[in-house]
Amino acid sequence: MSTQLEVTYDRQIESAVSEISNRLQYQYVLSKRAIALLLLQEDEDIIAMVKEKETNNYLKISRIIESTKQKYNRPLNYIISLSRQKKVDTIVEETMTKVQGKENRIADYLSRLTMNPLTGVPILLLVLYYGLYKFVGEFGAGTVVDFLEEHIFGVFINPWVNGVVQTYIPWTWLQDLLANDYGIITLGIRYAVAIILPIVGTFFLMFSIIEDSGYLPRLAMLVDRVFKKIGLNGRAVIPMTLGFGCDTMATMVSRTLETKRERVIATLLLALAIPCSAQLGVILALLSGAPGALGVWLAFIGFIFLLIGFLTTKILPGDKPSFYMEVPPLRLPKVSNVLTKTYTRMQWYFVEIVPLFILASLLIWFGNLTGLFGVVISWMQPIVNFIGLPDKAAEAFLFGFFRRDFGAAGLYDLQEAGLLSPRQLVVAAATLTLFVPCIAQFSMMLKERGVKTALAIAGFIFPFAFIAGWALNWVLITFKVLP
Amino acid sequence: MECCNTKQPWYKKISTTLLGTGNCHGEVNQATQGLEKIALVGSPNVGKSVLFNILTGAYVTVSNYPGTTVEVSRGKGKIGTKEYEIIDTPGMYSLLCITEEEKVTRDLLLRESPKAVVHVVDAKNLQRMLPLTLQMIEGDVPVILVLNIMDEAESLGLKIDLKKLEAELGIPVLSTVAALNKGIEVLKERIGEYVYAA
Repeated sequence: MSTQLEVTYDRQIESAVSEISNRLQYQYVLSKRAIALLLLQEDEDIIAMVKEKETNNYLKISRIIESTKQKYNRPLNYIISLSRQKKVDTIVEETMTKVQGKENRIADYLSRLTMNPLTGVPILLLVLYYGLYKFVGEFGAGTVVDFLEEHIFGVFINPWVNGVVQTYIPWTWLQDLLANDYGIITLGIRYAVAIILPIVGTFFLMFSIIEDSGYLPRLAMLVDRVFKKIGLNGRAVIPMTLGFGCDTMATMVSRTLETKRERVIATLLLALAIPCSAQLGVILALLSGAPGALGVWLAFIGFIFLLIGFLTTKILPGDKPSFYMEVPPLRLPKVSNVLTKTYTRMQWYFVEIVPLFILASLLIWFGNLTGLFGVVISWMQPIVNFIGLPDKAAEAFLFGFFRRDFGAAGLYDLQEAGLLSPRQLVVAAATLTLFVPCIAQFSMMLKERGVKTALAIAGFIFPFAFIAGWALNWVLITFKVLP
Repeated sequence: MECCNTKQPWYKKISTTLLGTGNCHGEVNQATQGLEKIALVGSPNVGKSVLFNILTGAYVTVSNYPGTTVEVSRGKGKIGTKEYEIIDTPGMYSLLCITEEEKVTRDLLLRESPKAVVHVVDAKNLQRMLPLTLQMIEGDVPVILVLNIMDEAESLGLKIDLKKLEAELGIPVLSTVAALNKGIEVLKERIGEYVYAA
């Protein structure tokens, strides 16, 4: 192999580099030249590393950096990057030629349409209507859930399990553990398989297609202006939209945001105002029955999202975000990747929720057996009544502690029993959306943002959800919006 | 998929499974102790994860937007007759890091000093991506340059003289279309030669 290329910087930088390299005594993985350049570019971590290793020399090294900085009126990082870029430009000029290519006119045209506010907003609404409302809401959470709930579990599995359990198990306590109202199979597995899985599956399928097409970065460009107002930049679109899939996953992805401030705002908004796919699916299915209910819920959650985002930007100190994002070309999604991705995500989700749902059934069973469940429910009842809901709704909220989706599934059961008026349904759905990040999301918040921030966020959300629910209920009653 | 098979005490494993915080959010962690390492690095959304999937036969999530990968994945891949630990990393624009996930990648390079570092770039955007190659050459990182998404570059009318680029940079340079499985054999060959020579 021929000798490797070496970029030569201007005289002053080169002399600083060689002076620093001579002083570096420790062996780093990177060459001394590269370390010296990173020091001149003032990379914090490298500075910290060198400070630690070169205790005797560091003072002299930092003097060299300081005196070099004095010689330029721009940051050294800029000077160094510029020389490197110039070298790259000459190399590219020598090795690359451009001939007339067949540009992809249709993709280019579509790409521009998605980013222009005039056409981009209608396109977004179309994607939401067909992708989310029709496919996930009506098909996934409606048709498929109904089929699995009523025909498979309602007609075959639950009666069969209940029958088997009653015939072969003489003890009621064990019967209740496996079957009946709160059994592992009849409640835990049923929620997971019949309600959550179809919704999550249809959502992930649709989301994979959107992801692979390259639509998300375009959406980021489109909403950048609105997001700036709430202290985020367009880049935050990705964790936010991912949040509609699973808030836990999205909280982790918020790592891609640049400043700590943005990451905290995104974590808060995800925990508060972004429902996860399972919750969203159930809510879409529940509310689409009552005219106007879906609109009220949507407007309320949107309002809270913007309000809290706006307030946090006022309160939290820090720099305003700058926006830089690469927009990849629109591409036709590959069927194989879409299917594999949907499958792995469903598998991951399922593996994650099943043990938790079983655990929840176990806890509820234990709570029932000891009467603890009743006690906790009775504590919850005044709170639930406070926001205008019947006693029975306390159960759904208690379930919601375990997981967002579990709580939403509990709401589904209430609706089936005809216990809620449209107004109560909206209030319950809205409060449940705001209320608790589920256990998984909360522990991810602890892991990513630290104990203090995570506790502060949870401590804010809990009372806020109920106060907002109460306010919504009051507004709806006063202005007679919904019966 | 072999997830979370790291050496954790059993109660931690159960609690992470129950709470859903295990590192199973789309990344892969196969048992690769003792193997020599090959890392895939480069800007976001250039196809590192696609290459990882091809080289290891595992599946990490692949999407068409920057920032899909936020965690490091490790898998076993056979190149020639030898097995290696292939490492997929979150996107990194420069050795001078801004975001947390860039730091993850640089720390990995500094800590684990891989046998070969495959710098994956988007052939359409050489101007923007080569500075990192130069930085790694400067740092004596054993780097191989892969111009991925070559099909899109070609249909834009871009012609790149790989031989000349190779001579200029003094490192192995080759092109692939990872999404269509093109150029993979050559890539494996070159990595094999490179690691052998080192």
